[in-house]
Amino acid sequence: MRAARRELALVAAIAVVGLLPLFGVPGFYRAGNLRNLAIDNLPVLVAGIGMTVVIISAEIDISIGSLFAVCGALSGLAAKAGWPMPLVALATLAAGAVIGAANGLLVARARVPAIIATLATMAILRNAIIRATGGAWIQDLPAGFQWFGLPQAVAQPVYLGAAAALFLAAAWALRHTAAGRSFYAVGCDHEAARRIGLAPGRVVLAAFTIMGALAGAAALLNFTRYPTIETNAGVGLELQVIAAVVVGGAAVTGGRGTLLGTLLGVILLGMIGTVFTFLHVNPAWGKAIQGAIILAAVVSDTAFGKRERDD
Amino acid sequence: MTEAPAVRPGSAARWFPNAEWILLLLLGAEGAAFGVFGDHFLTAANGFEVVRLAAEVGLLAFGLTPVIKAGGIDLSVGSMMGLAAVVLGGAWSSLGLPLWLAAAFALAVGAAGGAFHGLLITRLRVPPLIATLGTYSLYRGIAEAVTGGYGSTSGFPAWFLDLGQGYLGGVVPVQLPIVAAVFIALWVMLHRATIGREITAIGFSPEGARFAGIRTARATVRVYATCGTCAALAGILYVSRIGQAKADAGLGYELTAIAAVVLGGTSITGGRGTLQGTLLGLLCLVVLQDGLRLSGQPGEIAGLCAGLVLLLAIMLNQSWSRARRASQVEGLRNPDPKSPGKFKMKNSQIAVLVAAILAGALLIAGSNWWLVRSLGRAPAGPVPPARRITVAMTPKTVTDPYFVTCREGAAEAARELGVDLLWDGPEYADPAIQNEIVDGWITKGVDVVAASLVNPKAISSVLRKAQEHGISVVTWDSDAETDARAFFVNQATAAGIGSTLSDEGARLAGGRGQYAIITATLTDTNQNEWIRAIEERMAAAHPAMELATIHPCDGQRDKAMTEARNIIRAYPGVRVLIAICSPAVPGAAEALKQEDNRRVMLTGLSTPNLCRSYVHDGWVGSIVLWNTRDLGYLTVYAAAAVRDGRLKRGDSAFAAGRLGTLRVEGDQILLGKPFVFNRANIDDFRF
Repeated sequence: MRAARRELALVAAIAVVGLLPLFGVPGFYRAGNLRNLAIDNLPVLVAGIGMTVVIISAEIDISIGSLFAVCGALSGLAAKAGWPMPLVALATLAAGAVIGAANGLLVARARVPAIIATLATMAILRNAIIRATGGAWIQDLPAGFQWFGLPQAVAQPVYLGAAAALFLAAAWALRHTAAGRSFYAVGCDHEAARRIGLAPGRVVLAAFTIMGALAGAAALLNFTRYPTIETNAGVGLELQVIAAVVVGGAAVTGGRGTLLGTLLGVILLGMIGTVFTFLHVNPAWGKAIQGAIILAAVVSDTAFGKRERDD
Repeated sequence: MTEAPAVRPGSAARWFPNAEWILLLLLGAEGAAFGVFGDHFLTAANGFEVVRLAAEVGLLAFGLTPVIKAGGIDLSVGSMMGLAAVVLGGAWSSLGLPLWLAAAFALAVGAAGGAFHGLLITRLRVPPLIATLGTYSLYRGIAEAVTGGYGSTSGFPAWFLDLGQGYLGGVVPVQLPIVAAVFIALWVMLHRATIGREITAIGFSPEGARFAGIRTARATVRVYATCGTCAALAGILYVSRIGQAKADAGLGYELTAIAAVVLGGTSITGGRGTLQGTLLGLLCLVVLQDGLRLSGQPGEIAGLCAGLVLLLAIMLNQSWSRARRASQVEGLRNPDPKSPGKFKMKNSQIAVLVAAILAGALLIAGSNWWLVRSLGRAPAGPVPPARRITVAMTPKTVTDPYFVTCREGAAEAARELGVDLLWDGPEYADPAIQNEIVDGWITKGVDVVAASLVNPKAISSVLRKAQEHGISVVTWDSDAETDARAFFVNQATAAGIGSTLSDEGARLAGGRGQYAIITATLTDTNQNEWIRAIEERMAAAHPAMELATIHPCDGQRDKAMTEARNIIRAYPGVRVLIAICSPAVPGAAEALKQEDNRRVMLTGLSTPNLCRSYVHDGWVGSIVLWNTRDLGYLTVYAAAAVRDGRLKRGDSAFAAGRLGTLRVEGDQILLGKPFVFNRANIDDFRF
């Protein structure tokens, strides 16, 4: 029950941080504020699902911030070309999956270590989009782009519901299907996975493809909140997502991690900024506090883990 | 090893055990290509310039090599540069320590920060990636927290500035001996000392190393402490090059440094790697960047090519080492002295592949170069037969929509005048990058540099250097120190912007209540000047207005929306938001719209196109800006006129194409006052 221990530690940390607003300005626990927090963090959660799969497979993907921006720009171009929104959504997911698969091929076939391959694609994608757009935003999108043409009051619960359904499906699949377990097997030990009849290369390729598609989904959830597209978005998203996943207990060495942990990691890191705004803390302290919380969460767990080992 | 059939490996294999010689080929190819395409690429001066560009990233990469070879990683090196810069500045100016002692103190902080990683990793068993991801935020965060982000130290003595800006004997940059000394020390440590063998052993197998009697914890702590010290030294050199100690030093440098190390053949999983490989990897990246700059390519092409080169070099290296390992296994099974023949074939294949990659990279660069040239020359109007002049224009960032519209105006003027326009700037407002860009243009030999300065202190020195090389310098948008340029194309002063923004804010709020500011980053020089001007004007003219808070949005609309929503909920007294970077206004407007909040008003600095619908729907009360398109247009006109001698000090008027005649006051060309766009007039402007 070692994994559950990390999750308990996170619940405790969330409870502590969650108590702080009681000492600040009232209003943190109003429904509207919680809904805003949830909507703002949906892209991180959805990308975090993909990142969890990748990290469980003992790989990493630092290109997702750039991929996120590219997918957003492509969705805008498709919408502008007059495509119906369902088709725009499909095309965005497909574009993400294709670029993710390219990362996967580099790692699984060409045997480039994941951190290097995705460092390179991160630079390539980000510079390509600057080259293509010159930094300009995509404007004059059809009216049906923002919230998929739904009224905002309807769209926000729909987005939350869709993300929740995706999360539950992914959590179930990762835990209870053979395909889901194969990520753990490959992440634990490539050779052992091969000997029990898995194809580690294909599993890694699948992990990156899922990551790419989910980065596309995150881009959709993010950019359809606006009537225009900022082509320079998503800078630093990869670190935000990786931090949430590893704080959530996934081991960067592979083979260990749960989506529940990732969810808790996203909640903890996602609420910090807003909580400290409600406490009227000087934003100059934001980064230092965030770094300290990441370290504290990780260290508390390894301290527990160590004690268990010593027992 | 003594029992092996004593064939001493050839010198190539000894010095470059991981096929680092691939990089030598690459470097040679780069040199040949840029010798043809680049202006003044193959000159001694440029060679030393490359050294200067490489110094700080190089120190990080050298420090990282032992870390990565030991199977670790350190993502916090860039943040440590920022922390060291702030510690240096603080210890010198606030504590009043002598500068050398302050520098020693900064180095000690670097060593301690590195050792802290070592302890987290060895004692608490935190994986290196996570430990340093945490300190990546923590170190930069501490630097921002103690300075409030904007606090900076400058006015360093000349001997210190010479470390980063001076030349030994007039030719050799002072950084060169410093970096060379660090390189040699680390080389001895990694390749000739006991700890080097320990690092190799730990990298291959930490458990195995421990069982072999190596004190792995001690070695690991030392390696990280060395890396932290190198990062702190890089921070000090950065401060002396820029002339200013501020929390944003070294932002984003970690990825370039890691790229240089892995490009240099060091295995990211540990065990394999050489310091000379890192040096070659570093040179490949820096020469690529420098060469593309001298060929007139914008920064994003260099970024694209660097990504491609990294990818393909690693793929080659992987396939080569796999082939070598396979042949070694073969050799063990079937010890045939003739087997080295296989290598030769492999080598030639690799050479072909390298050439193919390079051809690909050059194809991108070349097609782009051709495109730029052909576009620039296509509208063959009344082009004078004389040599076309080249105006090199740098914005604060290339990704800000504000500057995107400036560029449109600049391109329009360049077409009308028949001048060649180069446009390049940092991706994010980084003074060091802008400094390097201008330095590259000096070597390239452009006619005029027109700069909008990220930071006056950091860039003025390089503009003076440009003037010494006979290049005309004008500034626009954000001025330099006055002796560093001929003219300033002035769209509005900080005081003008600040007072217009605060008057608008106070008007929208009804003259009383709290206001909150959404800025780009807390370290941004211009935004901080505007904030000061806003506060001064509010205190003087609108005493009933009170500043509630200042939040950064990192120049991102997503974050601006989140911050705006949080502020209007957490500061119920706020009546008006003042957003002072162009993505922040639409972000905050979307927040007000989604919250359906008609109580809080919004004004700020942004372009009409980004805000048009929000202004019409009443979510944005007004935006304050000048015509940015005209600003770019006027700048190119002024630059060309200064070069031709048509515009001199003492003139009182200047005719600029479609803008008509504009007023010149002293050394400033005035575009006009900041303009307030509101629902009534915004549709008259399309930019």
